[in-house]
Amino acid sequence: MTEPEGYQRFDSGDVPRPLRAGSHATAVVDNEFFIRAAFAESSEKGFEALFRLYYNPLCSHALRFVYTREVAEDIVSEVFYQLWKTDAHRSVQFTYRTYLYAAVRHRAYNYLRDELTGNRTPASIDEMEYAGAEESPQTLVEYDETFQRLEKVIKELPSQCQRVFLMSRFENRKNLEIAAELGIALKTVEAHLSRALSQIRRAILTMVCLLFVGLH
Amino acid sequence: MEELVNKTLAFDYFAGKVSPLQKKSIERWLAQPGNQDTYYQWLHEWELANLQLTTNWQNAFDATQERIGSTVRVSSPVEDTSVQWWHSSRLGIWLAAASVLLILGIGNWLAGDVIRYKTIETGFGETKHCLLPDGSVVELNANSRIRFPRFGFGSESRIPLLSAETAGRQVELTGEADFSVRHLPNHQRFVVLTPKGLAVNVLGTQFTVFSRERRTQVVLRSGKVALTLPKQPDQPAMIMKPGDLVTLDAQGKLAFKQTSHPENASSWKQHRFTFETTSLREIAQTLHDNYGLTVHIEGEELANRTISGAFPAQDANELIKLVADLLQINYHRDNNNVTFTN
Repeated sequence: MTEPEGYQRFDSGDVPRPLRAGSHATAVVDNEFFIRAAFAESSEKGFEALFRLYYNPLCSHALRFVYTREVAEDIVSEVFYQLWKTDAHRSVQFTYRTYLYAAVRHRAYNYLRDELTGNRTPASIDEMEYAGAEESPQTLVEYDETFQRLEKVIKELPSQCQRVFLMSRFENRKNLEIAAELGIALKTVEAHLSRALSQIRRAILTMVCLLFVGLH
Repeated sequence: MEELVNKTLAFDYFAGKVSPLQKKSIERWLAQPGNQDTYYQWLHEWELANLQLTTNWQNAFDATQERIGSTVRVSSPVEDTSVQWWHSSRLGIWLAAASVLLILGIGNWLAGDVIRYKTIETGFGETKHCLLPDGSVVELNANSRIRFPRFGFGSESRIPLLSAETAGRQVELTGEADFSVRHLPNHQRFVVLTPKGLAVNVLGTQFTVFSRERRTQVVLRSGKVALTLPKQPDQPAMIMKPGDLVTLDAQGKLAFKQTSHPENASSWKQHRFTFETTSLREIAQTLHDNYGLTVHIEGEELANRTISGAFPAQDANELIKLVADLLQINYHRDNNNVTFTN
């Protein structure tokens, strides 16, 4: 898949390079050579390479926002699917990595916002369109602050409350199961969960709402 | 000031360990063209060094490839030519029609459902991918059947004698199927009729219809559909939004529910079974519907035990074994008879 002729032909050919020529000092070593070589061979090969390289770290990153494994995987799969379906992979402006991370963060952040503000519809994940435009530096920092703040809030929850929250969200366990495993009442589990959620809401929403209002 | 920004600082920044001023300098650095690529490169490296979970990318890739495959096949060259043939060479239709008329005679012709309708069926344990003449795609689950007019289905210039007399595209369904309806330039209606008298009216969307003896159910993934009961014209149409799940009960009333995973209703397309606190009794019914098996469950308590989750199973045996493993019970299969015991 990474035979030399493969990408040589690709680089010298008339196919536009997804990576903008890096003229500045901090140019990243372009390690997407072999991915583009794979894409030159076929879409399947290209996407296989993309999945192998990026699927896991992208899920891990999305998880920082949504804290549910299934949702994180859904978001990442949907981004890959859209990229593939719309043939946008032929016209990716920067690197695939930039496109994928930007799209996943955009979706994961919106998912969290919609969940906390109660605007979430079952189709939220499908409907969110990612335009592929370059995000403003403020937005990028906003995203980073969001997942950091979320992590801080969860870290600072009382230990039992944190345990219940993670079992419910990350492990996707039923309240009854959690109660049985920890040997506590169902009511206590529910109280822990609502406490965790209200803390998160308080910490995240103040900043998210500002952005939300600003957009409208 | 932007010279401050390097990989070490970026890593500290991602971990939330930088001062507000350092954060500000990162923000300024990000505003310079090209730096966002670097930013994502470092984010990627940081994430790799701080992974929060492990996933199976191969499974995700396979599922996505399958999803792509099912939409790509719509425009496969073979199908295209056959569709074009209908549109372009009207003469061909007339010639074909003339010879058919000669052979069969008009009386026979009007009575012959076999000729006027095309029927596609699946046997037990089989799923099928069908392309309708208008470009819409139907995935047919096991033991199911669709029937639609052979002529004039979704075409703009209809030949009065040969086409079905009903307006729009009509498909009759028994069993279970997933639809991806193509929106036509002339906004022609697409209607799915079920034997229990439920009509799903569509304008280009994706949804799953379950229509078997025990239940009639519609799950909408995207777009918009209106449900009507042609046998009860006084009932107003029910408009479904994505994520809605509507069932038709035995009294002929529509019951409405929300589901956060509408795609689960069609997981059988990927040979997956999705259960949400589904009882063994219901699973037995699925084994009966999809594979033609007769299932006996020993004891009421066992029949009421439930399973949740999504599991792959290629055939009936795999599903039976999976269920038995999950519930930690025994099973015995003798041809088409299956018995579950504690």
